[in-house]
This record gives sequence, structure tokens and C-alpha cells, in this order.
Amino acid sequence: MSMARKALEMTQAAAEAIVQRAEARFSANRKESLASTDRMFAGLMLAQWAFAIFIALVFSPYGWQGKTKAVHMHVWVALLLGAVISSLPVALAWLRPGETLTRHTIAVGQMLWSALLIHLSGGRIETHFHVFGSLAFLSFYRDWPVLITATVVVATDHLLRGILWPESVYGITNPEWWRFLEHAFWVVFCISVLIPSCMRGVKDMRVMAERGAELEALSENQWRNQSVLERAANDDHSDR
Amino acid sequence: MERAPAPDGSILASRLAWVAAAAWLVAVSAGFALLWQYKTAPGQRIGAAPTRWPAGTAMARSSERATLLLFAHPRCACTRASLAELARIMARFHDRLEARVVFWLPRGAPEGWDSGDLWTSAARIPGVLVVRDVEGREASRFAAGTSGEAILYDREGRLLFAGGITPARAHEGNSFGQERIAALLTTGAADRADAPVFGCALDEGTPVRVSRTVDTTTQGETR
Repeated sequence: MSMARKALEMTQAAAEAIVQRAEARFSANRKESLASTDRMFAGLMLAQWAFAIFIALVFSPYGWQGKTKAVHMHVWVALLLGAVISSLPVALAWLRPGETLTRHTIAVGQMLWSALLIHLSGGRIETHFHVFGSLAFLSFYRDWPVLITATVVVATDHLLRGILWPESVYGITNPEWWRFLEHAFWVVFCISVLIPSCMRGVKDMRVMAERGAELEALSENQWRNQSVLERAANDDHSDR
Repeated sequence: MERAPAPDGSILASRLAWVAAAAWLVAVSAGFALLWQYKTAPGQRIGAAPTRWPAGTAMARSSERATLLLFAHPRCACTRASLAELARIMARFHDRLEARVVFWLPRGAPEGWDSGDLWTSAARIPGVLVVRDVEGREASRFAAGTSGEAILYDREGRLLFAGGITPARAHEGNSFGQERIAALLTTGAADRADAPVFGCALDEGTPVRVSRTVDTTTQGETR
């Protein structure tokens, strides 16, 4: 085998090692990033639950029938339905962080929180901003299919309520057939910016991992060369 | 490259997670269905509102504009949405409409039982007069059994509309009631003269209709 060929093979092996190292770094960083976002959402789920109970207790503590009062349905809903909504996302974030099912469950849970908070606030238009805030938070995963899952939940909610209770979605009782497209447009508008941003984020992570792997390889080579030189110098010194 | 087979425990845990996710979806769907059922269940009607402004009422009717009465339970959280919608109606039709928010006060209620944020919110709406309906006499006279019931009379005292002005219980937003009131005030006609009312019951039992000759002790308070 010629020296040149041997050198070429060594270079190829070194390049492959760098690629493998980059992939390992990327996977580890990605997993850590996904898991930390899961943990952030677990905290958010619990905070939203506490907030829902708070607004139910403050704004609608009791339902009345004449002089008779009873705990308002909103309080039970905030307490029980809120607990159910938060339960699985929090459990998965704790038990199975970084997994695909976990983040998609969190996406569904987060959009359900939007719906519940809209109900608990009495349908206030301001609470609808929670939907768009949640889409932005979900983009922290840098995993665009999560945004699609969230969008499907919003679309399903609009579709069902648009058929059964149109005024609660569109603010008018007899919406035109195309009205859902207008609502869908603003969600699509939002995710059409977030999705490329997520993809760019993953690409940046990969570039960072590659650069890190190259730097690691370089520094290892340098250390190895330095060791060889030091050993040679030591040998030379002992020969004298 | 072949993947190493996953350990049995891992497969089982993964399957369990999927089963939990499916059960979770069913549970949240059932929860929202219950909430939906609650919010869209209208209050009970106790009769038809008088077709002419009742002679025995202590409340004043405008002879220049239409008069809208909104019957309200002073502690019903759901009525906050009705007041928000009334404010929107008044902002739009302040030149054609006068409104009274009639707060129900039960027999034997302690002092200040009816004062609270709802009273304050109603009093803040421009063009609205807030009145106290002692023992629900006016509510009985106008056959209003549910908090949030709006009854509209024209300036000649003819009944135009009786019903709710929210799309659901404790839920703001446009509604059939609002659309009909708007149509009646702008064109003089609407597809229907009623709409479901969403809110707390004004009385525990079956209300007793009060004779039109009985005087009420309604106290008016200007905003």
C-alpha cells in the first residue's frame, strides 16, 4: 500500500470519526434541549392550573339559584379538568423527557389550556392571545411537527364549535362558510414563521455540533502530537 | 446498521404511555363536553313577558327611545358576561335606547347583599339606570326567571324582544339575542323575538306571578 493511499484512508477515517462525534454531540444536545423544554412546560402546566383555580375562585366562586349558593361549575372545572389536562404532560415530562410522545402531548395540553382559560375568563377576547403565545412557546422545541399538532387541536376545536356553536368561535351567529379560513389563516401565518425558525434552529445546533467535534478532534490531534514530541524529547534526553 | 432490540421493559413503558395518552384524550374530551353542556344549558322560562308595558310597574319607560330591561342576580358571576354585552349594545345604540339593569333582591336579604362588582359595573355603563327589585316583584311582573334576561319595549310600550344577550352561560361574544335586538333597533324587524337566556335562576322555587295592581318598592338609583 502506498503512503499516499494510507494517508488518504487515515484522513477518511478521521473525517468519519468527526462525523460520528458530531452526530453524538448533536443527539446529546438535542435530547437535553428537548428535555429541558419538557421541564419548562411541566412547570407552565402547573402554573396554568394554579392560575385557573385562582381566576375561578376570584371571578366566579359561586353559582346561585335565588338565595342558595353552590360552588360554581368554573371552580370544579378549573380544579378537576385543569388537573386532568396538566396530569399527563407533567407525568411524561417527568418520566419520559425528550421523547416525541411527550412533546406532542404537551402541545395538545397547552392548546387545551387555551380553550379552558377562554372558558374560565368568560370568553374574553383578550384570553384568545393565549393561543398565539402558546404556539410561540412550543417553538422552543425547535421541532416543527409539534406546531402542526397544536394547529390540528385548534382546527378541530374551531371545526366542532363552528358547527355546534358558531358564535363562540367567530363572534357572529351566522358566519360565512369561509370564515374558518380567516381564523386558520392567522394560525398558519404564525406557524409559517415559526416552522422555518425551528428548522433553522436545528440546523444551527447541527453546525455547532460539527464545529465542536472538529475542535475536539483538532485538540486531540494537537495533544497526541505534543505527546509524541514530548516523548521523543524525553527519549533524546535519556539517551544523552 | 441494525438497531439493538429495545428491552422488554422499555417497550412496555412505551405502550403504557400511548395507552395513557389515549385515556387522557378521552378524559379531557369528556370534561370539555360536560363544560359545554353546562354553558349551553339555558335558564328556565317562567312565562311570556307582557306584550305591553305593564301598567303596575314602578319602572319608568322612555317615550322617546326604546327601553331595555336587563334582569340580574346581583351575585351571579355569569351575569358579568351579560353586563359586558349590554355595554356593547349601549355603545352602539345609545341614541336609540335607554336601559335599566334590575337587580333582584330576595326577601330578608341583609343590607348590602346586592351591592358588589356587578352593581358597580352596571352603574358605569353610559345610558343605564340601575334599580333594585325588592322581592323580585318586577321580575315576576315581566316574567323574568333567569339572570341576564333582557326585555325590550319600543317607545309606545310594545314588546319587541325577550331573551338573553350572551352566546352561553358566563360567556361573552355575539349572540342571537344581540343580533335580534340590533335588527329590531335598526330595521324594526327580526327573524325571532326571543333568544335563550344563560345565567343563574332568580328564585329557588316556582315564582308566583304578582298582580299588576300590586305596588313595588323598587328603588331607583341613577348612575
